[in-house]
Amino acid sequence: MRLLLTLILSICVPGVLGQDTKLVQRFERVAALIHDNRIVEAERQLAAISRTAPNSPDVLNLLGTIRAKQNRLNEAESLFLQTLRIEEKFIPARMNLSYLYVLKRAPDKAIFQLREILRIQPDNAEATQKLPALLLAQGKFDECISFIQNLRAAGTVSTDLLVMLGDAYVAKNALAEAEGPYLLALENRLDNAGALLGLAQISRLKGEMRETSIYLARVATLSADSNSPEFLYKFALLALRVGMIDQAKAALERSLKLRPDEPSYLLALGVAWLSRGDLFEAEKLFRRLIATQPDNSLGQLHLGYVLLNQKKYHDARLWLEKSARSPNAIPEVFYYLGLVAQEQNDDARAIPLFEKAVQKLPNYAHARIALGSSYMKLRNYTRARQELETAVKLDPNEPKAHYSLALLYARLNDPARAQEEMKIVDSLKAKGSSADGVVVLPAPPRP
Amino acid sequence: MPNLRNLSVFILLTILAISTIAQRPSRPAVRGPVTFEEVAAQASKINWTHNNAQSQDRQLPETVGAGCAFLDYDNDGWMDIYLVNSGPSDFYTPPTPLKNGLFHNNRDGTFTDVTDTAGVAGGKFGMGVAAADYDGDGNVDLYVTNYGPNTLYRNNGDGTFADVTDKAGVTAPGWSTCATWFDYDNDNKLDLFVSSFVFYDKSQNPLCTDPTLQRRYYCVPRLFKPTPSYLYRNAGDGTFQDRSRESGIAAHPGKSFGAVATDINNDGLIDLFVANDTMPNFLFLNKGKGKFEEIGLAAGVAYGESGRPRSGMGVDAADYDADGWQDLFVANIDHEFFSLYHNDRELIFTDQPGEIAPSTHLFSGWGLKFFDYDNDGDPDLFLVNGHPDDMIESRIPRVRHREPLLMFENTGRAFKDVSARSGAVFSKAFSGRGMALGDFDNDGDSDVLASNNGEPPLLLRNQGGNRNNWIGLKLIATQSNPEAVGAIITWQAGALKRSRLKIGGGSYLASHDPREILGVGSATKIDSVEIRWPSGRIDKLTNLPVNRYVKVVEGEGVRPK
Repeated sequence: MRLLLTLILSICVPGVLGQDTKLVQRFERVAALIHDNRIVEAERQLAAISRTAPNSPDVLNLLGTIRAKQNRLNEAESLFLQTLRIEEKFIPARMNLSYLYVLKRAPDKAIFQLREILRIQPDNAEATQKLPALLLAQGKFDECISFIQNLRAAGTVSTDLLVMLGDAYVAKNALAEAEGPYLLALENRLDNAGALLGLAQISRLKGEMRETSIYLARVATLSADSNSPEFLYKFALLALRVGMIDQAKAALERSLKLRPDEPSYLLALGVAWLSRGDLFEAEKLFRRLIATQPDNSLGQLHLGYVLLNQKKYHDARLWLEKSARSPNAIPEVFYYLGLVAQEQNDDARAIPLFEKAVQKLPNYAHARIALGSSYMKLRNYTRARQELETAVKLDPNEPKAHYSLALLYARLNDPARAQEEMKIVDSLKAKGSSADGVVVLPAPPRP
Repeated sequence: MPNLRNLSVFILLTILAISTIAQRPSRPAVRGPVTFEEVAAQASKINWTHNNAQSQDRQLPETVGAGCAFLDYDNDGWMDIYLVNSGPSDFYTPPTPLKNGLFHNNRDGTFTDVTDTAGVAGGKFGMGVAAADYDGDGNVDLYVTNYGPNTLYRNNGDGTFADVTDKAGVTAPGWSTCATWFDYDNDNKLDLFVSSFVFYDKSQNPLCTDPTLQRRYYCVPRLFKPTPSYLYRNAGDGTFQDRSRESGIAAHPGKSFGAVATDINNDGLIDLFVANDTMPNFLFLNKGKGKFEEIGLAAGVAYGESGRPRSGMGVDAADYDADGWQDLFVANIDHEFFSLYHNDRELIFTDQPGEIAPSTHLFSGWGLKFFDYDNDGDPDLFLVNGHPDDMIESRIPRVRHREPLLMFENTGRAFKDVSARSGAVFSKAFSGRGMALGDFDNDGDSDVLASNNGEPPLLLRNQGGNRNNWIGLKLIATQSNPEAVGAIITWQAGALKRSRLKIGGGSYLASHDPREILGVGSATKIDSVEIRWPSGRIDKLTNLPVNRYVKVVEGEGVRPK
């Protein structure tokens, strides 16, 4: 319901233009009451107004807003549509509808309403901002780019739109094209955190970790007091990926203050604690996430993961099996379930789980290592060797693959090859390329 | 199971009068869980505190000691206590002389300090202790490991000891930690394995610090060079031959702490499992003819699961699931988890810690021992913990310098954490290091002695373990090695049938009551006890009493009083 506050703010005065000042004041009072969440009083006052103008677009629009606030979304939608049947060009109702459709997870309908607004009123600032943002969020990168580029061709565009344009190019992995809009945005405002974050993202994708960290450090300073949880979250995800864990944690903690119990923030903060190696803090956050959203399969997966790493196998299995029941279950969940079985010395149960993970993701090196280890425990050295040698090919920098192969060679009475593999393990560890654990952490979801 | 000892087997059936070698006190009437009760220093009269010599320089030897032992030095049938202390070294000069302590058991719950009379004060920077009758004269001797040369005290049999280190040739220069007596070549004499830790002197102490602390902390052993351990062969004439190189032991420099001598493949040759800190553990397979092969990697006991060496400290061995094969245990540092290695045969082990893992996640384990704390016939597990870095709490969340004890009960094929119900002492925290096992009050259940770094020792009386029935054996070898290391004891009481291998060493820097308490649960009659001695002799005993200690002489059976 977080969009409803914005919804209220779009109760526009233009609809009441031309009406008497007293009536305008009454509508404004109702709007203020809705804004203050005094819904009962707002509805009572609106009822009083509607007795004199029952089918007024302003009344219907405000009533729709009240219904939306009451989470009666279908009624709200009917009221907004009724408003538009009376007055097709009533912009506030279309804007409210677009917000409502976002809430109802009907982004295409929202996009349609925003396009309608811009058809009716091409210079509508709010729709100009919201439409590309929605296109970007929906993965309609080309449409987003085309929309902003058309605006640019027609004149200058806002810094926010330039950043959005850069983001759309980054999303398309068109890094060369992305850089320009970000730099332009910085010309307008040197401390534009969004542009700096975009440049950080480009550096990371180019593998320039030092530059990434420099940009991110600057963003961290600029966004320390940010009131945009979305931006802080976006920053945190990037910071997490480059190992700026403390900055990521700080941003996520602030995001959670601004929007408590938002599942994606809880998940990311849990992941940040995991990166710090604190399974217990991570566990608290994943449990909080599940309390907020019991069916969140990623939350279940992560909770299972931390419990597995605490070697609390019974509970880990419980949560991982819940996650595995999700139609969108990712390969990791089967891998972790396999690990639970393997660590409980039930390799016969572990093998099909690892195989399922490999089936879903054939280049999943960790799952192949685990599969090889289970075959080794069952003394099926031929299959073990196949899987482990494949794993080494898939990820030659993973020490566990080489260690498992060393163990296998040692058991096959080939100490020379075993020692060779152990030397590789040592050199990889010295380079710090070790994941230093059995498991791969799934990336947090995109915002 | 091939037995490589090509010796004659002698079966003796004994229907002899049974001797009681020590009277047990009356058994407690109250039923409930077995608990351990802390025996206060005022009650035991052991007024002794370990001085860890802690300095601003945080020299590493300060934090790894020291050890303790139960031993019956005067052969009166009651366990005495030996405690190891720090002393002068290249980095430390004690302001007042420091002494190891020998405490005579007065048989009434109190002890008397007899260190000076006995002549076992040490006077070096002490680490651990291993007690055994190495010369087979019937009197238990003491080998004390040090940071610096070690000391072998020969028991004169009159309450005094003589320092025979140089004559015996078991100095083991460097920094020794655990020592283990066992007979590696089956010549019926006790040989000696001495774990060596890192190469160290005061000039080797790097600056380990943290800008936020503004002071030093103890460096991790990863920063120091490994050193080879020692294997001394007992020549039988009071001297030992250094066989470290010939045996293959010296080919594997380590950073060795705990060691246990056991037979992992039931071939009658005693193998060695050695824990290393920040290096792979060693599993020395005894190949016979005085040779060992290090098979830790292939056996799966050398590394953690990702191929990273862990910080192994205390070790022990027992057949916890009664499948006839010796399993291994090693305690590591916090976040590394402790390992219970199940013996899968064919020289392969699988780490199956079960409930032990989550319970030990944040702990650093040192002294530990499998023993049957409730006399139900199967080995349970006691652990002594404490983080070596006294400033760890400012560096790693949730990890504490002083840590609680842990007690795990054997549930058949796994262990259950029963610490919470095992007595108030389990809610306290200690800077635990050594841990010795012994029935100091001769009541038929095993008590515990823990030595704490920089603190007084902890004497724990087992309360209620003897509510189940038992028989205690003191094995007196006539042909086998004097400690009967390698003997296999099998006992039956009704439906209960158990077997136990008498291992050498185990725990950390510690030495244990050599007697074996065989639990028989609620059975009131013991049908039989069979002892397969390391020499190959078999003594089969019947008509045994319950709830008594008996002496069993190799080839003779139970010795009448």
